[in-house]
Amino acid sequence: MLSAQLTGVILAGLLACAPVLAANTVLTPVQQQQVQRVGAGLRCPICRDTLPITESGNDISKGMLREIAAQSAQGKSDEEIYQFFTSRYGDRIRLNPQRSGANLLLWGLPLLALLGGGAWLLSYLRIRRAPLQPEAQNTGDTDETDPYLTEIRAQVAQRRQERP
Amino acid sequence: MTNPPPSTQKPAWTRFIAPLLAFLLVAGLGVALLRPKADGAGDPLLQQPAPAFTLNTAQGRPMSLESFKGRPVVLNFWASWCGPCRDEAPLLQDLARQQKPGGLAVVGVLFNDKDTGRISDFVRQYGLSYPNLRDDNLETSISYGITGVPETFFIDAQGIIRAIDRGGMDKERLAAGLKSIGVNLE
Repeated sequence: MLSAQLTGVILAGLLACAPVLAANTVLTPVQQQQVQRVGAGLRCPICRDTLPITESGNDISKGMLREIAAQSAQGKSDEEIYQFFTSRYGDRIRLNPQRSGANLLLWGLPLLALLGGGAWLLSYLRIRRAPLQPEAQNTGDTDETDPYLTEIRAQVAQRRQERP
Repeated sequence: MTNPPPSTQKPAWTRFIAPLLAFLLVAGLGVALLRPKADGAGDPLLQQPAPAFTLNTAQGRPMSLESFKGRPVVLNFWASWCGPCRDEAPLLQDLARQQKPGGLAVVGVLFNDKDTGRISDFVRQYGLSYPNLRDDNLETSISYGITGVPETFFIDAQGIIRAIDRGGMDKERLAAGLKSIGVNLE
């Protein structure tokens, strides 16, 4: 009789503690690292600045960290936890968006622009350099194709002659 | 007399290509950023089942989304410190008052607000008769991807989110949200 009462008391105590245990999930060091890693990749949804939830310290960020901890304790992978948040907040919640689909374009475009710009700059510099070489050898001759250049050269030559 | 050398100059119009591309890029970005999103368009929760929850009322009575099964639900996240929430509270109260038993349910959820005195004042000031639930650990707010208040979810009788309104609602926006769940504003 006494043992039944004791069991009942213990059970009641455990049930009363259940929400506390759920809120303060005990994690292994690996799971704690996962919480930090995933948390560092998620932005605080109510902050004006782009802050990871591991740094913002407000209530919703703490709530999100609790959610990550709960999912980590269930053995969820990083990607599964990210998926949980993106299915609610969209891709904007991730500080480091996935490199797939339309996002791939976002990651690839700057690289393509850099390569394309570099190629264009190289070809432009080559074109500029090519006509300069014969011109450098062209001493004294006037370029009949450009009337302005001809005029300037004529004026320069005239000034040189006028100089004592 | 010598023939002039063949011209190597590019046609004049080619000089407009770069500015035109830059203009199109900036214009495209501007349109994409400034275009208002209707009814939460692009929101990942749109056309998805509403996340389940069980929360307590201010009086400590548990209430779940499941308890409104088969009824359209207007789920409004608000806080007593939020200005636009004051603008839409009378609209929601009017809507709740017009409903018959078993009809549309208006449900409030408190977001990031633990000031019970100020909450009570708000409820009293606007005579809110619909249930307002406490989300102290913010689990439900996170489930619904709340980024600020007010945010209102229009859930149809099958439990699917059909429209989302972010920011203070006026009568037209409320009517548009209600229409998405098959309810006409009187």
